[in-house]
Amino acid sequence: MTGYDDYLAGEPVIITVALTGGVHGKEANPNLPETPAEVAAAAADAEDAGASIAHLHARKPNGERSFATERFQELTEAVSETTDLVVQHSTGGTGAPLEARRQPLRTDPAPEMASLDMGPLNRYRHLTSENPRAMVDDLYDEMAARGIKPELEAFNDGHVNEVHGLLDRKDLDEPYHTTLIFGGGTLTPANPRNLLNAVRNLPDGATFNTLGFGPHQLPFATLGTILGGHVRVGLEDNVYFERGELAASNAQLVERVVGVVRTLGREPATPDEARDILDL
Amino acid sequence: MTCPHLEYRDGDHADTERAYCTVVDAFVEPMRADICNDRFDLSHGAHCEFYREAEGLDGEGDGS
Repeated sequence: MTGYDDYLAGEPVIITVALTGGVHGKEANPNLPETPAEVAAAAADAEDAGASIAHLHARKPNGERSFATERFQELTEAVSETTDLVVQHSTGGTGAPLEARRQPLRTDPAPEMASLDMGPLNRYRHLTSENPRAMVDDLYDEMAARGIKPELEAFNDGHVNEVHGLLDRKDLDEPYHTTLIFGGGTLTPANPRNLLNAVRNLPDGATFNTLGFGPHQLPFATLGTILGGHVRVGLEDNVYFERGELAASNAQLVERVVGVVRTLGREPATPDEARDILDL
Repeated sequence: MTCPHLEYRDGDHADTERAYCTVVDAFVEPMRADICNDRFDLSHGAHCEFYREAEGLDGEGDGS
């Protein structure tokens, strides 16, 4: 597992940039990229700033969610034409059935990585994103068949148990790249002690990625860097740069975390270094 | 059936018409627009608290 020794050794930090997401759009921050051209331009700027993985969601022209392979194909081609970033497609999709959530895995070529939500989380007042084990397994099986590395998204500590359960059921390749997510609602409460516990509870052979929503993005990226982990930033998870000040771009958020990483004695991984670390 | 409180309006933050909720008088985020439009497994009657409150349905179960 990655750990404090990796921090002391100055191992590179993989910075994932979550460029657009699917929950909010330009109504939350007009600087959030939505179209393939906007996302590709933002990805190029983020790569220049130090990102090595692009986490992608596809949208319709009016910004609404799309799971269609054709939309992901257009998006991933645009990003791959302008960057060398590792492409990671989201398979998340509150309220969407399995058949829709398979669609982002079916681009040609397949994405190098795809997200895999490890269990349920509440949305709004009356809605739950269910992510039952049968769906997790079906999505994983299609990733394995297509040579796609899963990024295991643990929205709370129970989902860390689900990571262990998935490893019991399926034959994943190391490293088991797990994103530990912190914030409000169903997420693990954003307390630094909870990050320490979550890291301790990861399986041997895991790498971890630290994701704090909203105002927790920067402090948890900093903590993750110190603990030898990797980090995710971007407008999908946090539309603000500071309290009351909208972020100008994804690159602005990447630049800031790169400054933290370097101050702490590590370097941002290049895309090829990220491929080596994750054995892509 | 689409939510009766959904309209698509021009906004100053984008070139395309966006989903607008007349209950809360605001553009809604994209994931909520799927609820407004009853896409996939989503239903405004079951999943939207704004619709349910406007129709006096809260407190009567989730409608599903």
